Amino acid sequence: MPPKRKNHLVIDIENVGMDVDADFDSESEDATRRRSRNRKAKPQRKARQVSDEEEEDEDEDKSPKRRGQRRRTKSRGDEDEDEDNGQQSVANKRSKASRRRGAKNSRKEQSDEEDESDKESKQKRGRAVSKKSKEEQNNEKKEKDKGKNGDNKNNKKKKAEKNSSPVSSDDSDEESEEMSEGELEALKEQVEEKKKLIATIRNKPWRMQKRLSVLKEAQDFVERFEGALGKGKGRRLYAFKVMMTKKLIKFNRDFENFKTACIPWEMKIKEVESHFGSSVASYFIFLRWMYGLNLILFGFMFGLVVMPEVLMGLPYGSIPRKTVPRSDQATEMDLSVLLDFGGYCQYSVLFYGYYNSDRTIGVLKFRLPLSYLLTSVGIFGYSLLVVIRMMARNADVGGDGGDDADFTFSWKMFTSWDYLIGNPETADNKYASITTSFKESIVDEQENQKDENIHLRRFCRVSANVLILCSLGGSGYLIYYVVKRSQDFAKMDPSSLSWFEKNEVEFVMSLLGLVCPPLFESIAELEDYHPRIALKWQLGRIFALFLGNLYTFLFALFDEVNGKLEEELSIKNSSEWALSQYYANYSAFYNTTVVPPPNVSPADVIRGPCWETAVGQEFVKLTVSDVEVTFLTILIGDFVRAFIVRFLNYCWCWDLEAGFPSYGEFDISGNVLGLVFNQGMIWMGAFYAPGLIGINVLRLLTSMYFQCWAVMACNVPHERVFKASKSNNFYMGLLLLVLFLSILPVIYTIMTMPPSFDCGPFSGQQKMYDVVMETINQDLPAFMGTIFSYASNPGLIMPAVLLMVLAIYYLNTVSKAYQQANADLKKKMKTARDDEKNRRNNKDSTNQMMKDLEELLPNKSLLPPPFEEDTPSETVSVKNSKQTKTKPGPTGKGVNVEKEVSLAAPNPRRPVTQAPVQRAGPPMNARGAHAEPGRGRGRGGPPRR
Amino acid sequence: MGSRASTLLREEEIEEIKKETGFSHSQITRLYSRFTSLDKGENGTLSREDFQRIPELAINPLGDRIINAFFPEGEDQVNFRGFMRTLAHFRPIEDNEKNKNPTASEPLNSRSNKLLFAFRLYDLDRDDKISRDELLQVLRMMVGVNISDEQLGSIADRTIQEADTNGDSCISFQEFIKASLVEKLCETCF
Repeated sequence: MPPKRKNHLVIDIENVGMDVDADFDSESEDATRRRSRNRKAKPQRKARQVSDEEEEDEDEDKSPKRRGQRRRTKSRGDEDEDEDNGQQSVANKRSKASRRRGAKNSRKEQSDEEDESDKESKQKRGRAVSKKSKEEQNNEKKEKDKGKNGDNKNNKKKKAEKNSSPVSSDDSDEESEEMSEGELEALKEQVEEKKKLIATIRNKPWRMQKRLSVLKEAQDFVERFEGALGKGKGRRLYAFKVMMTKKLIKFNRDFENFKTACIPWEMKIKEVESHFGSSVASYFIFLRWMYGLNLILFGFMFGLVVMPEVLMGLPYGSIPRKTVPRSDQATEMDLSVLLDFGGYCQYSVLFYGYYNSDRTIGVLKFRLPLSYLLTSVGIFGYSLLVVIRMMARNADVGGDGGDDADFTFSWKMFTSWDYLIGNPETADNKYASITTSFKESIVDEQENQKDENIHLRRFCRVSANVLILCSLGGSGYLIYYVVKRSQDFAKMDPSSLSWFEKNEVEFVMSLLGLVCPPLFESIAELEDYHPRIALKWQLGRIFALFLGNLYTFLFALFDEVNGKLEEELSIKNSSEWALSQYYANYSAFYNTTVVPPPNVSPADVIRGPCWETAVGQEFVKLTVSDVEVTFLTILIGDFVRAFIVRFLNYCWCWDLEAGFPSYGEFDISGNVLGLVFNQGMIWMGAFYAPGLIGINVLRLLTSMYFQCWAVMACNVPHERVFKASKSNNFYMGLLLLVLFLSILPVIYTIMTMPPSFDCGPFSGQQKMYDVVMETINQDLPAFMGTIFSYASNPGLIMPAVLLMVLAIYYLNTVSKAYQQANADLKKKMKTARDDEKNRRNNKDSTNQMMKDLEELLPNKSLLPPPFEEDTPSETVSVKNSKQTKTKPGPTGKGVNVEKEVSLAAPNPRRPVTQAPVQRAGPPMNARGAHAEPGRGRGRGGPPRR
Repeated sequence: MGSRASTLLREEEIEEIKKETGFSHSQITRLYSRFTSLDKGENGTLSREDFQRIPELAINPLGDRIINAFFPEGEDQVNFRGFMRTLAHFRPIEDNEKNKNPTASEPLNSRSNKLLFAFRLYDLDRDDKISRDELLQVLRMMVGVNISDEQLGSIADRTIQEADTNGDSCISFQEFIKASLVEKLCETCF
């Protein structure tokens, strides 16, 4: 335990102007322990004793003299306290940082000390004897000084005061076993002094090294005994605190483990990652993220829209929009109809049309239409927020995936194994993942070293892009053509159409989705990009293809909607007309103005086509067919293929596993894009079919398990396993784009399209957003309405937009500047490293020509040629000695690294650019010839030692 | 601490071990009971086979190297003292322990001793240099037959190229430390 005594000594000696070494305290400590051992047996008081008695041995002889000073000391201590109040905060702050550790150490050491004290008692000699064991030269002097200080302590009031306190504590210790008032006081005083020392250490004229050690000890002391101050209760509290911190640490660790265990599918994904590399795993991580997002969206939609309507709204069959029409009732539960989401499904809570337009429902007066609109818009808002936040967070994870570290292979080599693995299965995975990561690094490395015919490469890339553009254009036209044809078909009688003609659009789109990606992939072979970049290109291209699909789909949908709107208008007119007829007839017949509503079963009411539900149906159908296609593709393309390859291989004429069909590889780009576009569908369709999100959650859940199984069971790792970018920001970027695209049509319908007159929560309104206006006008206080009307004023919106643009511009500029600074720093670090390396490599002249040139230099030419080999070593040793002279290290541990660099600096040679293998010859020779510099390097030693 | 294990262990011995390794009394007794449970031959020493029964070591590709680290040069048995001496490398570093007594010999759990221990895992022939062949052997242990020899060779070359600063095609202990491995190793191994 580093005692306070030392510090006093240090201070004293400093006052005399002597150089002090850090370790002369151990003697006093030893003596202290021995003494304490002799006197007291109570181990639990050890801590205090040590601190107190550390100091006593020096003062023992003088103690009688100083007892009288005790009272003065106390008052002095109070003064000190006052002085220290300002500095205490600083000290506290510092000590707090390492308090936990210190607490632990102190316990341990206390017990250690106890045991060691026997041995130490043998050294029970004067301090002078043990001093000799020190190797430092000035120890002797120090000791003398100490004695001197002790003698003329009257000169140094401060010291005298300090010394007096331990004595008093000693006395009190002898008097009673309990912690006495004086002892406590002394301890407190010591703590205060330490604190003071910590606070003022900056001003002490010591060497940095010593300052550090003194500071550390003072901090330790304060940590240890601050808590022990106060009476027995305080001490117990302190012990309790220490125990609690320990418990807390353990709990935190357990909690971390628990949190990791709670991450869904973590094990599955890790397993996949270890076998297929991080690129495939990145898809699954993305899938998991999507699942989480959808779960939250589902929570919103379900909690705020679906549940209220189910619980508080009118039941099924009560009003026309919640009833299957009479004409469809015969087939409402047919499987084929239900699979098309017609019949009962169409009039269920899944779709827009089911929701009632009552302003409030239930006893809670829940404003369902408003909630419907706000939730739908809120889903977009939330998704945008989450995606953008995710992108931002990924951005600082940084890196495009390539390891920018310089020691890639060294790290992999020396640190890849996790020594905590104890489970054989995990070990297998770890093997696989180490292998995979090596393979990934090899691919990266090969990519870096590739240099070929640049013109050929360029030609290939241009032609590949042309080909892909052609096929994209072709598929775009095909879609356009098919959609047009389907519009023609739509006008014809449905019964006269064949199955193919009815499903032509879906068929063509699925076909394109199946054919184009492999086509692109094979064309991309021409380009010969690194797989990671190739994946991005591939993703971009398929994205473009799918985008075409999406937009043709949307335009077709809008055509359909427009047709439905016309139809609806006529139905609305006719039904209104029929209603007015009924009223006129009724009042004429019964001659009364009190007309009861027509007594018609809800199933028989004439109703409009409800275009929103139709759109929702389209989306749901598309999603479901997408799921089917995905699963079938996996089943047939992967499972059946793997099955055949595996088992037919026994009786086949060529090797199926190595040859043609082989096993499938996991199609990352296709799967990612499938996921992204599917999500786009969900975002768009959620407004028209609130149940769609629920369906999607189910889909993601099943596809997680199914694909995990499929990839482990039927696929083989990619031929070129590559490392995925750590941030899957590319996926996120695609997702953001799709999100933005899917917001457009929904917002368009909300703002401009008239809602159906007889179905959905907005029936009866001119526009859907009128619900908001209505709420503002009726339910909010009047001034809110005026505020909103001001806020929607173009005069206010324009400056706001302008401001935002400016802010974006500013932030963009700032981030660019930071990036630039970052890149510069990185470059600097790298050059510094390379520099050092080159210097070291070239310390011995490895280059014959340079050597020859050097001989021509005037100072070198004096040396006889036969000694040429020795010249570098000589110069080195000379410099070496010079350096030790200029800066005599007190520790005498030789030159450290910085010096070594400077040692090599005056001898810069050509930088080494060759591979080590080629370099292997000459350096060996050089090294063999010059043993001296090699040793010098060796002595340089690790800086930390 | 009146457990069965501690009765077999004499107090003086515990004291000595404690002094040498810095383990606490209870830690030593616990480790001693572990030692005796590993010691199937019940002769007070552990053999290589005893170590290989530990599942963590059995599945560790570098397990053999770690086991080797327990055995002094040319010996096949390790007694409890040697066992503890090796284990002391894994004791966490305590900050104030170092400056408590700088003149004493460095504790076994100092940072550089830990690193030296890690270094020895790779230095198969104990010549204080990791050569290409040694790297290749370790690589072979770690990845098995999944990567071709040629590629393994290039990995080893690259590793040396990265870490080697004095151009002798070997990784010395100094270079091993310099290779920025310090932080990484410390977090993975210790």
